[in-house]
Amino acid sequence: MNYQPSDYLPIIVQIGAALAFIVLTMVATHWLGPKRHSKAKDDVFECGIESVGNARTPISVKYFLVAILFVLFDVEIIFMYPWAVNFKTLGWDGFLEMIVFMSLLLAGFIYVLKKGVLDWEK
Amino acid sequence: MNAIIALSLFGITNLFLGFLNNRKILLPATLLFVLIAFGLNLADWNHEYYWFHNMLKTNNLSINFTSIILVATALVVAISRGFGNDEEHTHPAEYYGILLFSVVGAIMMVTFQSLFMLFVGIEILSVAMYVLTGSDKRNLRSNEAALKYFLMGSFATGIMLFGIALVYGATGSFDINGIGNMVNQAKLQDIMLNPYGPILYGGIILIFVGLLFKISAAPFHFWTPDVYDGAPSIFTAFMSTVVKTAGVAATYRLLSISFPAVYGLWGNPLVYITCLTLFIGNITAVYQQSFKRMLAYSSISHAGYLLITVLAKTPTTNSSILFYSLAYSIATISAFAVLMVVSEAQSKSGKPDESFTALNGLATNNPFLAFVLTVSMLSLAGIPLTAGFFGKFFIFADAFSNVSSLFKTIAVVAILMSTVGIYYYFKPIIAAYLKKGDLEKIELSPIYKLTLIITTALTILLGIAPDLVKNIF
Amino acid sequence: MQQIPDVIRQIPLNNYVWFSTALFCIGIIGVLTRRNAIIIFMSVELMLNAANLLLAAFSSYKSDPTGQVFVFFIMAVAAAEVAVGLAIIVMIYRNIQSIDVGILNKLKW
Repeated sequence: MNYQPSDYLPIIVQIGAALAFIVLTMVATHWLGPKRHSKAKDDVFECGIESVGNARTPISVKYFLVAILFVLFDVEIIFMYPWAVNFKTLGWDGFLEMIVFMSLLLAGFIYVLKKGVLDWEK
Repeated sequence: MNAIIALSLFGITNLFLGFLNNRKILLPATLLFVLIAFGLNLADWNHEYYWFHNMLKTNNLSINFTSIILVATALVVAISRGFGNDEEHTHPAEYYGILLFSVVGAIMMVTFQSLFMLFVGIEILSVAMYVLTGSDKRNLRSNEAALKYFLMGSFATGIMLFGIALVYGATGSFDINGIGNMVNQAKLQDIMLNPYGPILYGGIILIFVGLLFKISAAPFHFWTPDVYDGAPSIFTAFMSTVVKTAGVAATYRLLSISFPAVYGLWGNPLVYITCLTLFIGNITAVYQQSFKRMLAYSSISHAGYLLITVLAKTPTTNSSILFYSLAYSIATISAFAVLMVVSEAQSKSGKPDESFTALNGLATNNPFLAFVLTVSMLSLAGIPLTAGFFGKFFIFADAFSNVSSLFKTIAVVAILMSTVGIYYYFKPIIAAYLKKGDLEKIELSPIYKLTLIITTALTILLGIAPDLVKNIF
Repeated sequence: MQQIPDVIRQIPLNNYVWFSTALFCIGIIGVLTRRNAIIIFMSVELMLNAANLLLAAFSSYKSDPTGQVFVFFIMAVAAAEVAVGLAIIVMIYRNIQSIDVGILNKLKW
């Protein structure tokens, strides 16, 4: 099956229509709506609670540590996909190798736990 | 490759040893681990093995490189003394653990059979070194060095990876022998008529640039002085010995196995790179005021000497690289060992003083340290009766034995530059013996002293009887 | 359902090569011209992803899965690099309250 460039024409039409709609509604509301400013209306909406302080305050570094650890352990999972696809052909050897791999990851996890990185209260 | 498996497990063990709250056992334990790995490594002597589905291959050459790496690691560990005095902010167990992990990466770099393992090895080594470079967390210079090293290192990795991808596209293989065969075949046809020719050439050049970044050869050297200067001295010693040896070994292995057929492509640029490396490394080192920074530039220039013999492709190239790496490593480690104790004793307002003036009058109260310093400087400069002399001698002999007249030019440049080297290597010796200073007697721990005796004795021994190890290599 | 390699092969190989080369060059230019450490780092990631794309494309054109496995390795290693790199950047931010690489001039050559 071969696609010609002309086959993509509907997509371009769709993109054009979507963009045109956005631009049209933005311009239309700007022209049509009445403009009344007040303190309550210009305020940043925060679930009805009065907003406090700047949005760009530094976040506790604990979030950073947890996020990084999540990324590390999360990405290691990609090595399980090829193994899972070939689970039957790899057999017990593959299973043992995967156990070795997971136990190394587990050692890392135990280290993280003992180091107290996940102690939120400390 | 049992040493790799053992070292990985030892690294994890080391991390958990940190929970024992007993810092005294860390150094002997790590030293023991490295020595066990050394023994396991030698067990494969005189055999050629493929490991892990043809991912790694050990032969005598790679075992020799691994041995040099492990010896250098053991010496660096022996002079580490628990990493600084700041009790609260240092994590010695982690530093030793990461050090062992990085050695795993270095061993993978000297034994790789597949570009997979070259990439993974370089990354294990580099990521570990980024952490260790920044390990002095409160020191802004260390922070800066870590960031520079990290950004430049990952940049180089990106370049090399793209090169690997292109070479894979052109040859359809990651195995270095497989790539070598494909390159040979491509060479038989007219390379530019081959549809994959430009891709292959581009890939080789990019891999080559990435590797030269890692061994800090001249147009790609600019990160080296900053990183070596900012990192804690003990890790600078590790970087300038283990990382450099592994990088040169990896470059040599890749170029000599995969790409000998396209020698013209990488050989000609490498001639200019080598000359430039020698020139920049040596000339800039002359102007340095800091001993540590001078050693950083000298490590650039030594990369240049090592590249000469990679280029020369004579039958003795293997043993020349090995001998030079060994001689350079032990001399550099003893120089850093002296620098560390002296700069700590001379520290001003909590910061170690690493300039040449810190060495003033070293010989008055510390004749032993001054002697160690002298021997290591003479060896780095290549004065006879030290190991460095024979290291340089073998390399120049390789260059002259090559028929091409180009190599005679390179050898002449190298000899000229090594005379420049003598000038700046004598600066610390002059400071130690002829300048006046008020340095008190420095107390050394027994293991520290023993290490210095070993490195100095080895340097002199190899300078008198180089055949002792030259015959093994 | 079409096999994924077949879908990939509907686009000529040259397009992949040129596209990833373009990505790679954007990455290099980003590293060389930007001053913010995080953006430099993002450019490096762009370079890695250019290599990933190229490997995946070559791998399906050659019907050889090794290239795709390499992509897995690159992803895992890139995650480790991200962890270390961001930690270094956070460490610097704590000390100097900025991540502009221009401020880092304590070490001069």
